[in-house]
Amino acid sequence: MPLWFARGLRRGVVTTRYPARPDSSAAFLPTPPAFRPRQLTRETADRIVAACPSIALTRQGDVLLFDVGACTGCGRCIAAAPHAVTPSGEWELAATTRSVLIKQIPIRGEQP
Amino acid sequence: MTAVEPAATETSEQLLDQLTSLGGLVVRDSGATQGTVTVRLLAETLEEATHVIAGTAGLRLADMFADNGGDAPTLRLVWAHEPGYLVVETEIEGDQYPPLSDIAPAAFVEECEIYEQFGIRPATGKPLNRLMLPPHAGPDFPRLGHRPAQPLEEAHAPHTVGGQAFEFPFGPVRQVGVESLHYGLVTSGEEVVDLYLFTWHKHRGVEWRLRGTTPREAIFFAERTEGLSAVAVGWAFAAAAEAALGITPPPGAARTRAVALELERLYNHAAATAALCQATGLTVGQSAAEIALERLLRVNAAVFGHRYLFGVIDPGGVSRAPDAGALRRELPGAYGELRRAADALLATNSFVDRLEATGILTTEQARRLGLVGPVARAAGLAADARLNEPAEGSPYAGYPVNIVTADNGDVLARFQVMLGETDESVRLINALLDAGTAAERTPLPPGGGTGLGWAESSRGEVLAWVALDQDGRITRARLRPGSARNWRGFDDACRSQNVFTDIPIIEASFWLTAAGMAR
Repeated sequence: MPLWFARGLRRGVVTTRYPARPDSSAAFLPTPPAFRPRQLTRETADRIVAACPSIALTRQGDVLLFDVGACTGCGRCIAAAPHAVTPSGEWELAATTRSVLIKQIPIRGEQP
Repeated sequence: MTAVEPAATETSEQLLDQLTSLGGLVVRDSGATQGTVTVRLLAETLEEATHVIAGTAGLRLADMFADNGGDAPTLRLVWAHEPGYLVVETEIEGDQYPPLSDIAPAAFVEECEIYEQFGIRPATGKPLNRLMLPPHAGPDFPRLGHRPAQPLEEAHAPHTVGGQAFEFPFGPVRQVGVESLHYGLVTSGEEVVDLYLFTWHKHRGVEWRLRGTTPREAIFFAERTEGLSAVAVGWAFAAAAEAALGITPPPGAARTRAVALELERLYNHAAATAALCQATGLTVGQSAAEIALERLLRVNAAVFGHRYLFGVIDPGGVSRAPDAGALRRELPGAYGELRRAADALLATNSFVDRLEATGILTTEQARRLGLVGPVARAAGLAADARLNEPAEGSPYAGYPVNIVTADNGDVLARFQVMLGETDESVRLINALLDAGTAAERTPLPPGGGTGLGWAESSRGEVLAWVALDQDGRITRARLRPGSARNWRGFDDACRSQNVFTDIPIIEASFWLTAAGMAR
């Protein structure tokens, strides 16, 4: 046991200082998408809705509803429409009310 | 502890001759089912054929499942004869089929599962247990087949100690951060007389959910079946779809899969080490192993963009290549952390004493139950799915894997096997990086077929079987993670003269998941 006590003391504190300081490995986390309203047409929106395996995206008229809480950051919507959807890089997503997590994105793209 | 080369097995021509003489028809699918032979049998000959197969040396029952492809359910048995597989399929008219678990005890869990999902049962009439579906599963509950005619029994093992035995339930809510799992414990005091598992608390209906999806849609769910084996289950599933469609991934993609699989093995074995320390109350050791685990997870994030390696496997190949520079740079430090902790643990007598002679599984028990992975290898069974055919297309073909085995079958043996495997994983990762990895895919051709796929997860062999219709959509997907094979060995291990406080130690040495069983 003295071996383990000394080992623990020697190793010291390894926990990072997040949130006081950024955590370097956060750069590698998958993040939810960000949408470009002017690049979104109804047809593009329907395509990304169909690509989502987590039912995080639905379209109501000219509004794309995005449930951040359901999103797993899998990237299939980005792959389906890379000109309209990009990784947001945001992962500090906690909110105190559920409704804050439902984003409404206007569909402003022009039909070709 | 020994590292062994696998022995070459004789051909299965003799076995196939015996099966065809019983009226079996060898089915050659159009797919690239190298390493797999499928034989179709009539229900009348199934029992005799099972006798023949079970009596053939070197064969292990790897899985049994059913599907409602046609009007009648088809029963499929998958036998492993390292280095390949034999799939035996039989259409079952009516609701009974010949009793198989008397011949192959490794089939009892599957008989219960098939009854819950499809309503067909073995002709012995002996009671079956509720295993996969929750008790409230009514007629509308999503099932793969039809509802069974009679309600199922609860699982009660026969008590071997009369009179003074006391039975109590443990779980499904256990301590924080641990999966829902319910044991019934039978004890005469401190000693574990019997232990039975209920795993249906986490049933998610993954196989049901996959029906109607394409392989590239399905991989999202398949790799989340058992998240700690995302690469292994994803690989087995993708390989099954590829076999069904007659394609193989490009070599660079195959090597990427192997790199990801070895990284998965490394972090799982680090987590098992931490769990062993937690179970024995060695908190500094637990922290040391958890530091190693966190470093390995950060390596995964830096190299593949996900701490748990989700999103790497894609049917046809892989969707991303590893950052080889980051991997070469970061892995030695992370692995060194694990190695130092493990070496210190093996030099700590009070820790080793808790592991030695605890949770013993004999070779015969492991063989009878068809166990896989480090649990089986620590009991002396030298089998590893990385060595299975097809040799061409397998990324391990050029880098023979040294299988690590042990003889004692106790917790210490399983721990030593895991440590030996981590050494081997690091060696393999370096060799695979030297040969080159790439983010490539072979496009999936149109059409359908059936195929079997496999991979060696950190817990043991994962099997997947897929049937695709002509539109390329799944009509039946079978996912069999290593946990689904090995949980049945857990009660035998707990029963071998152990006490309550040994149960968490044995559970850590198995390092299974409830999710892998309850899918």
